[in-house]
Amino acid sequence: MGMNIIYIILGTLAFAICAPVLGCLLAGVDRKISARMQGRVGPVLLQPYYDVRKLLGKENASVNATEGVYVTCALVFTLLAGGIFVSGGNLLMSVFVVALSALFFIMAAYSTRSPYAEIGAARETLQVMAYEPMVLFMAVGVYMALGSFNVATLTWAAAPIITDTWAIFVGFLFVLTIKLRKSPFDLSYSHHAHQELVKGITTEMSGSTLAKVEVMHWCENILFLGWVAMFFVWSNPLSWVLAIAVALAVYFLEIWIDNNFARVKWQLLLKSAWIVAIVLGGVNIAVLAYW
Amino acid sequence: MAIIGFLILFPLVSAAALLCIRHNLARRVVVCVSAAAIVAASIALVAAYFGYAAAFEFSSVAIDYVCTGLSVVITACIVYYGIRYRNVWAVMLALVQFVAVIVLEYLFAHDIHEKIGIYLDPLTLVMALIIGIVGSGICVYALGYMDDFQAQHSGQKDRRPVFFALMFLFLSAMFCVVFSNNLLWLFTAWEVTTVCSFLLIGYTKTEEAMKNAFRQIIMNLLGGLAFVAALFFIVVNCKTLSFAVFLQMGVSRPDLVVLPVTCLAFAGLTKAAQMPFHTWLLGAMVAPTPTSALLHSSTMVKAGVFLLIKLAPIFYCSASSASILAAIPSLMVILVGGVTFAFCSALAISQSNAKRVLAYSTVANLGLITACAGVGTPEAVWAAIFLVLFHAVAKSLLFLCVGTAEHHIGSRDIEDMDLLFERMPRLARFMMLGIMCMFIAPFGMLIAKWATLVSFVDTHQVALIILLAFGSAATFMFWAKWLGKLAGVAGLPPNQEEGTHRSEWVSIGLMAMLALGCCVTLPLISSYVVEPYLHYLFGGIALRGEAFTAGISSSNLWIASLAAAIIFIVLFAGLGTTKARKVDVYLAGVSVDNSGRTFRDSLSAERTATARNWYMEGVFGEEMIAPIGTICSALVIIIAFAVSAISLPGLI
Amino acid sequence: MSFATKSPWVIHYDASSCNGCDIEVLAALCPGFDVERFGIINTGNPKHADIFLVTGSVNEQNIHTIKEIYNQMLEPKVVIACGVCACSAGVFHDCYNVIGGVDQAIPVDVYAPGCAVRPEAIIDAVVEALGILDKKAKALAAKKKGA
Repeated sequence: MGMNIIYIILGTLAFAICAPVLGCLLAGVDRKISARMQGRVGPVLLQPYYDVRKLLGKENASVNATEGVYVTCALVFTLLAGGIFVSGGNLLMSVFVVALSALFFIMAAYSTRSPYAEIGAARETLQVMAYEPMVLFMAVGVYMALGSFNVATLTWAAAPIITDTWAIFVGFLFVLTIKLRKSPFDLSYSHHAHQELVKGITTEMSGSTLAKVEVMHWCENILFLGWVAMFFVWSNPLSWVLAIAVALAVYFLEIWIDNNFARVKWQLLLKSAWIVAIVLGGVNIAVLAYW
Repeated sequence: MAIIGFLILFPLVSAAALLCIRHNLARRVVVCVSAAAIVAASIALVAAYFGYAAAFEFSSVAIDYVCTGLSVVITACIVYYGIRYRNVWAVMLALVQFVAVIVLEYLFAHDIHEKIGIYLDPLTLVMALIIGIVGSGICVYALGYMDDFQAQHSGQKDRRPVFFALMFLFLSAMFCVVFSNNLLWLFTAWEVTTVCSFLLIGYTKTEEAMKNAFRQIIMNLLGGLAFVAALFFIVVNCKTLSFAVFLQMGVSRPDLVVLPVTCLAFAGLTKAAQMPFHTWLLGAMVAPTPTSALLHSSTMVKAGVFLLIKLAPIFYCSASSASILAAIPSLMVILVGGVTFAFCSALAISQSNAKRVLAYSTVANLGLITACAGVGTPEAVWAAIFLVLFHAVAKSLLFLCVGTAEHHIGSRDIEDMDLLFERMPRLARFMMLGIMCMFIAPFGMLIAKWATLVSFVDTHQVALIILLAFGSAATFMFWAKWLGKLAGVAGLPPNQEEGTHRSEWVSIGLMAMLALGCCVTLPLISSYVVEPYLHYLFGGIALRGEAFTAGISSSNLWIASLAAAIIFIVLFAGLGTTKARKVDVYLAGVSVDNSGRTFRDSLSAERTATARNWYMEGVFGEEMIAPIGTICSALVIIIAFAVSAISLPGLI
Repeated sequence: MSFATKSPWVIHYDASSCNGCDIEVLAALCPGFDVERFGIINTGNPKHADIFLVTGSVNEQNIHTIKEIYNQMLEPKVVIACGVCACSAGVFHDCYNVIGGVDQAIPVDVYAPGCAVRPEAIIDAVVEALGILDKKAKALAAKKKGA
């Protein structure tokens, strides 16, 4: 038992160092590819890094004393969730801790009492409700295919779990668009210049608080791509290459979706995410349970 | 043994004393002393019998007569109110039940003498702790609350002596429910809780209160009738009045006890306010808040799920029974619980009345406990017990907070709790802690839900997995938006916390400490209390020859407990002042009063931005989805009864 | 150069412009000129912005708005007056309600004249503003270290 906790702490430290680096590069690639898709040159690869460094250098100012504390909690719990995942820990625990991080992010926005941030926070809450069932089905599907919630078990699996859970995988890709905050599901907060909400949930976050939010998104993106890659890992060491390739391909697909679809209304978001969850997730779980 | 007697009888003495006392100070002293004594006794009980089960030879004809006497009193009480308020159904059901009980006792069960009257096991201990500590905490809270309540309803007659007497009577009846092995005693205590909550709900005697009180009593009398039917079967076919013996018979041959188990489960479902009977608990919130707190957290509904958890081993064994019919009660309980969880969680989204949100959340969580009991595996029972425990402490904390907030801000609407973080800083933090305990990792409730999920997956309950996933998502929605409302900070509105009674703070603080304590010591409770119980319960069965392992490894439990402690520290110590320059909130115009969100728009008009939470009545409104849940679960129950009646040998 | 110059985020406010300059500002920020190459982003949120682009002259009505947006921006920040109206109120200088250029409300760092101001002039002004931003950022960093 003691060893497990040490692994999780080490994993969290490793994740806290690696995920921001990788996530930052991923965000740079994202902006570069998006710009090319729009016929532009786009910023340099390290642009997200420059943005965050600039934000850290800004003046220390905020609308209240609590917002920054909540955002710090959100960041810490994202790192913990990543640590649990990369140390081969419990997938469901990782999912729950991500939800906790989302809750702190929502509370940070609510605490400002800014009308724009509140609408963003309400939409974010709705988004969590929309994707949560499918994410739980994802964890359950992995458990049923693998016999354990422990991610480490993958490394001695005889076959990749995608063979048993492809429907769940497709469903997960659908909600991944919400989790990655990509259009058409970027209701609460968008990197594009959608202006009707000012900047949605992050409207009142500035300076180092906003920098923490950016770093949190980098880490989240890496963690979610880790969940994607997980479907393609088995005992063969070469499978890691395949898994990373698939994760990158999935991210490219998300960028393509982001650049080609207009934002939808919340009704469609909720309905489509739940229908996908119940059809793809529910059927796949039923198949796993009874056949 | 003596302590058990004390726990059952002492609240009765207090109740009698409180009934006579009209003086405020004297009542204060009696309630505080009694509460302290009950808390001390329940802790002493746990210390004395920690970790093992015991059965006590205790029988007395006198008690049997007392039970009969109580039945007479209960019936008389219901008939009196039924006639006075012209409610035919209540009178009829009460009379039918009375006749049935008398016939049972004197024609069928007269020759059966049950030696083991009282028993103890770790589950009972957990329940005793909940009733003893949470229940008495609520009684102390009621002191201050009822003073304010009386002041606000000064035109009405001061009926506080009755109120406090009923509260303590309730506690005594609950102790009786959890300790009785003699089914007739258990049933009598069961009915006493029904009548107590009837009287407490109807406390204000307004038209609405009486209507809801009657709804409660009619639904619970239906459950009571089912209980009597089960007793008939048990007495006639099993020739016993011992709960333990009946459970053993059920475990060894679940196919022979299908009908009584279905009846008992039905009684449990009505008391636990499962759909379609959830409306009585929603109606119960017309009562003063301490009543709601008592009904929701430590008593009444917990008696329902207690009964279901006791039946869990039968449900567990029925799954592997040769007869398909044996699984009928289990299926009924699972489906009703699952449907209730998903639908009531969704219904809570559309509510802005804080007490109604709490009520729906209670029903939903009871649904989850019910479903766990129905699954009946060791993992599921582990989850069910933890759900009971965490729900009791977190929900009582929330009710007490809402009650105090209501008296100070004059509303129980969540929208009116805007800025509570500043107006009532301490209370808002307690409320936030309570809310977090209810739904988010790493707090206990979610850990229990996690174990629930694992047990559902292990038993291939696909329908339950789906219901749980969607219900949990809805749960996130309605708690998170409430939490957000509380978290708002702007300017420095006047502190409205002053004038809160010290008794209220003591109880709220007690509940908060309990909630946090349970979350942090969850791994210890698991390994020293709940797991021994499961070994005791399932060790003897060992049907599938599998050793019990909790669905969650202890290292994960410890991480959760650590994270819970960190969040608590952040909430109470980390949210203070900052050296940062304070900037105004962006209002897309010129601020007139920035903290009040008033700005001058482009036409120079002053406007105030308002933001309401999302209630999504078009999707989750009561008239949209409540009928679906009600019809589904009613159908399940009707079909289950029809099928289990067929299973009765010789009926057809 | 400090990081402040590598990611200048912009907020654009139309004071009382005839919209000529606004169209040019948006043109400069649109994909055609691709200013994101230099890390420039049009945020629309004063809390996130480093550079305040104002078009049009200051009048009795909008002076409060300009001040409020400026106050909500975090240091280091620079202000660019875009177009002749923002520089000196231009042809509207003697209107009954016009106070004058943007510098009547808040300190202006760079003046970009023109009627309407050309996108190239705007980009030029932003480049010049970056130098000022750099100085301010370094001063703030020194102050933070000192404190």
